[in-house]
Amino acid sequence: MSYAERPPPVTTDYDTAGFWAAASEKKLAVRTCSDCGQSLHMPKAYCHSCGGWETEWKVVPPTATLYTWTTTERELRAGFKPPYTIVCVEVDEAPGVRMVGYLPGRPHLKVGMAMHARFEPTADGTLLPQWYPTP
Amino acid sequence: MKQGEYSHQDKCGIAGVGWTKFSKNSGRSVLSLATEASLNAIRDAGLQPDDIDGIVRCDFDVVAHNDLANSLNLSNLTYWGYSGAGGAAPAGMVAQAIGAILSGQAKTVLAFRSLNGRSGFRLGKGRTQASSGAIGGNGSYEEFFVPFGMVSPGQVWAMLAQRHMHQFGTKPEDLGHIAVTSRERANSNPNAQMHGRTMTLDDYLASPMISSPLRLADYCLETDGACALVVTSAERAADTAKPPVLIRAVAQGAVTGIQPGMVGPVLSRPDPMTLPSVNIAKTLYARAGLGPQDIDVAQLYDCFTITVLVQFEDYGFCARGEGGPFAASGAIKMGGSLPINTSGGNLSEGYIHGMSHIVEGVLQLRGESTSQVEGAETCLVTSGLPVATGAMILRRGS
Repeated sequence: MSYAERPPPVTTDYDTAGFWAAASEKKLAVRTCSDCGQSLHMPKAYCHSCGGWETEWKVVPPTATLYTWTTTERELRAGFKPPYTIVCVEVDEAPGVRMVGYLPGRPHLKVGMAMHARFEPTADGTLLPQWYPTP
Repeated sequence: MKQGEYSHQDKCGIAGVGWTKFSKNSGRSVLSLATEASLNAIRDAGLQPDDIDGIVRCDFDVVAHNDLANSLNLSNLTYWGYSGAGGAAPAGMVAQAIGAILSGQAKTVLAFRSLNGRSGFRLGKGRTQASSGAIGGNGSYEEFFVPFGMVSPGQVWAMLAQRHMHQFGTKPEDLGHIAVTSRERANSNPNAQMHGRTMTLDDYLASPMISSPLRLADYCLETDGACALVVTSAERAADTAKPPVLIRAVAQGAVTGIQPGMVGPVLSRPDPMTLPSVNIAKTLYARAGLGPQDIDVAQLYDCFTITVLVQFEDYGFCARGEGGPFAASGAIKMGGSLPINTSGGNLSEGYIHGMSHIVEGVLQLRGESTSQVEGAETCLVTSGLPVATGAMILRRGS
């Protein structure tokens, strides 16, 4: 089945591993400066806002708002059978932090709608936060 | 910013331009294509290969400076460098050439881009297409995108287009006018891949959706081919075979809230619709001592129609959010206030990753374009968005 061909994420990178460790416990975590609270996403070690090097993985509720999306009608890579939709959401409790998620088919979407994450395994069992419209 | 002592304004020119046939399958190596385009540019300038003492290239090019120097049998190489990322390279290559010339590190610099973009590595399938196993890490941040099915630059631009439509009411037809205009220019250009294929707005609207709201006709072509330029001092340019075209100014720039990686992280910017071109425009116009009202013709990087539309706003040809109505107004056609992409651009001439835009800018200012803008004296040429990029203003020498 094509799903098995989906590439899993690297989960051992120095800067991003904490995201996947949290996801393995079905939690959404945003790397955050321990000194000033600045969200550091894409995750990184140094806070550009206050100059601090102390960071933590702040667990936030897996709720978000739909920022934009696209429905892809062509096969671009094995494992992702068209049509499928990529959503880009803004995490509610981490302003400015945006993430993308996969939805099968051509769901009816509207910018600004409420979204929530479900943690779903990809081919190697790694849990990915996937974003769905909140009914 | 105070301009003065270190200004490069009008101090260098593009003395020669060269290109190959643009096709879907060249049947040749990229080194062979790079060599042909380079020889054409050197001959166009009335120079010999041994006049070249510098080479600048794109970071995505598989042809390295020493590969090309060997192929051309250059014996006087004193400078080389590369620029990027990818489609952002061309303006940066010219900027480096100017830097090398004005600092005395080279006299005559060859800049090139060569790719088998259709028969070889197809950029549209994403940078990680050949990777197997887990994706991402090492600062690429691809782990946040590719495992979710976001693999292609087209999907990112589609999401930006969707957002532009939501925020500003931009219509598919607005994008269509850009595609149709580029096609009209290609229909006049015998070297354009789409030379023989006309397209109406209805044809555009009937074009199949690839990644909504972008259709096939919103996407650039995939091309095998190469382009090259010879950059030299204004004095030497005045002595070469063709009418001199001066580089009025060049600028590279990032955006406030710059993001790492290639394309996907752009969506994490405070305002993803704000592109580097907003900042580049300020720097470029200040360095040139010119403004949008002074631009006679523009070659705007067009990996997608939406990419062109946002640049109308960023370079000050219309207000923010008004890119759609501007595209539909007729301003961008021949006889309009800002004819664009007069060779057909990436959308309809061929995708040489932004290098053909500089070639066409030079041809316009020599009066040699296949869609010549009467009396054109200045041309804005931009390179690929959206990460961090560059642009230049060319002007006719006297």
